[in-house]
Amino acid sequence: MAGPSVADRIADRAAAATPMTVVRTVRGLTDRAIAWIFVAPTIFLLLAINIFPLIWTINLSFTNYRANRLTRPAEYIGLRNYERLLTDPDIWHNMQVTAHFVLWTLFFQVVIGFALAWLINRQFKGHGFWTTIIVLPMMLSPAVVGNFWTFLYQPQIGLFNYVISFFTGVDPSSFDMIGSVALAPWSIVIVDTWMWTPFVMLICLAGLRSIPESIYEAAEIDRASPWRQFWTITVPMVLPFLMLAVLFRGIENFKMFDLVVELTSGGPGSVTELASINLKREAFEKWRTGYASAYAIILFVTVFGLANIYVKALNKVKER
Amino acid sequence: MAEVRLTGVSKSFGKTVAIRDVDLAVADGEFVVLLGPTGAGKTTTLRTVAGLERPETGTVHIGGKDVTRSAPAERDVAFVFQQYSLYPHLTVFENMAFPLRSPARRVPEDRITERVGQVAEMLRIDHKLANKATRLSGGEMQRVAIGRALVRDPSIFLMDEPLSSLDAKLRAGLRVELKRIQYELGATILYVTHDQIEAMTLATRVGVLNQGRLVQIGTPKQIYEDPDDIYVAGRLGSPRINLVPAGVIAVPAPPGTATVGLRTEHVEIGRDGTPATIDRIEHLGDQSRAHMTVAGTPFTVLVDAHTDLAPGDSVGLSPRAPLFFDAAGTRIRA
Ligand SMILES: Nc1ncnc2c1ncn2[C@@H]1O[C@H](COP(=O)(O)OP(=O)(O)OP(=O)(O)O)[C@@H](O)[C@H]1O
Ligand SMILES: [Mg+2]
Repeated sequence: MAGPSVADRIADRAAAATPMTVVRTVRGLTDRAIAWIFVAPTIFLLLAINIFPLIWTINLSFTNYRANRLTRPAEYIGLRNYERLLTDPDIWHNMQVTAHFVLWTLFFQVVIGFALAWLINRQFKGHGFWTTIIVLPMMLSPAVVGNFWTFLYQPQIGLFNYVISFFTGVDPSSFDMIGSVALAPWSIVIVDTWMWTPFVMLICLAGLRSIPESIYEAAEIDRASPWRQFWTITVPMVLPFLMLAVLFRGIENFKMFDLVVELTSGGPGSVTELASINLKREAFEKWRTGYASAYAIILFVTVFGLANIYVKALNKVKER
Repeated sequence: MAEVRLTGVSKSFGKTVAIRDVDLAVADGEFVVLLGPTGAGKTTTLRTVAGLERPETGTVHIGGKDVTRSAPAERDVAFVFQQYSLYPHLTVFENMAFPLRSPARRVPEDRITERVGQVAEMLRIDHKLANKATRLSGGEMQRVAIGRALVRDPSIFLMDEPLSSLDAKLRAGLRVELKRIQYELGATILYVTHDQIEAMTLATRVGVLNQGRLVQIGTPKQIYEDPDDIYVAGRLGSPRINLVPAGVIAVPAPPGTATVGLRTEHVEIGRDGTPATIDRIEHLGDQSRAHMTVAGTPFTVLVDAHTDLAPGDSVGLSPRAPLFFDAAGTRIRA
């Protein structure tokens, strides 16, 4: 190597430019102190942006505070908000809508995502091109996706209705995906599946690619049929990846807001009113801030609890 | 068990020719060992027999049936892979039971347990049956890989350096075990190794591969005593055969001789013969080796364990049973 590298030269110049007092102070610090100096800004930001609002929300959830009446002092009302929430049949309705949405989107995304990954992994001609095409929806903004699916779902001119009628013979204007009480919950499932299946597919693809070819060769020598190879090798080895994808999608969809607001705004009636949409109404339309805070905490604890149980299961699968 | 025959088999990967024009017949119940340096095409030969590689030319017959175009499963071979290729998400027991669980075989569950238990005991991994295949030492993984083959009763066992990661003691033990299996079951085995002791002790016949060609095949004795060319002569024997240019050692050589090969045990040290000076004596316990330089070429002779030769001694060399090779390295038989 000829001479010091560019980085070294810059470092030398920076060292020369540092005032002696600063140099002496820094040299006097322990490694541990220096480590703290480096992480302190991050910790501070985390506290300010995540931890403080969380604690503040917990605090508000025990009050009858209303954010639109700043002058009126908030009173502590104990667990009253929680009591009302947990006995409110409307909340249970929203929870059911959310559960329907989360479970069905997960089901379709896992099945279709895995199938697509499996097909793409066979390295057919042009698989790179198709991967790009399939992944596109994921890259769009949820607002854009919601908006243009309202057009696709149009009974008269919508492509979706037209395609369905093409395959089933049903008159395209005879059903309205967004307007019908029976179909609306499925309309949001379809759009979310369309948008996020690529994500599940990509993770499954990573899992499939991680299985070495030699294992399939060994299985072939051991006279395992393709069917048996699929169930005893492919599925168990992709499972940890798949479960991770389910975790991500599950948490995301439990909190789903933007896409559904854009598409149905929770309607017709409240058949697609997910918990998060309902929460936003309580907080920023009815301005029941304390009540909404308690609501948010309940949702948080639910997601957190479910995710924890799930991660335990995931670790079990990985250890197997 | 069945006879396996390769006829004129060639296989290339892009520009690399892995094996070319290989003719090899393994008779039913025979133990054939392939010897060769790294990259010689040993693994490729085994994979071609197994059906994991399709040869460009030539045919593969197993049990008299042409299987050149058949899938691996149809050939019913057992393969011990060089890189083990265990199923990482399964336990040792499940790995070894895997081939028996093939629906085509319909082995009852208690029979599977029994068979896996037997083989595991023989390979001394019975205490590891519940372990995951990834939580094992290299030598244990290798034994699981062997076990996965041995539970079966295939038409041929293909073994790619199956004892390479084991310590000397275990290796010697398993060598005996493999020989016994072959003897008792009449198993047909095609076996790859770098280790010449393995080759000499196990093989009914040894095939020497070099640069994709099967240079010579014969009994260990034939390969050792009657090599067809200079490569084969150098492949077997420890310490290595002495290869000296013609004329350096006083032996009557046939015309065309470029190199003379002398096994280290075929040279007598005395007063008469080609003069040499001892550089170094190595005492190995049961034998000793005298290293010297003859006309600028290093030369080694096996001598008595209690030799009183010492460095600096001037001696005379009288060879027996010399091997002659021409300029291309081909043996000239007198
Ligand atoms: N899948 C492959 N793609 C490209 N080249 C390959 C492939 N497999 C083998 N080769 C080449 O073919 C030649 C023979 O390889 P092979 O694996 O048969 O050697 P080997 O005798 O088993 O060597 P080793 O003792 O190192 O295992 C080598 O030159 C190797 O680089
Ligand atoms: Mg090899």
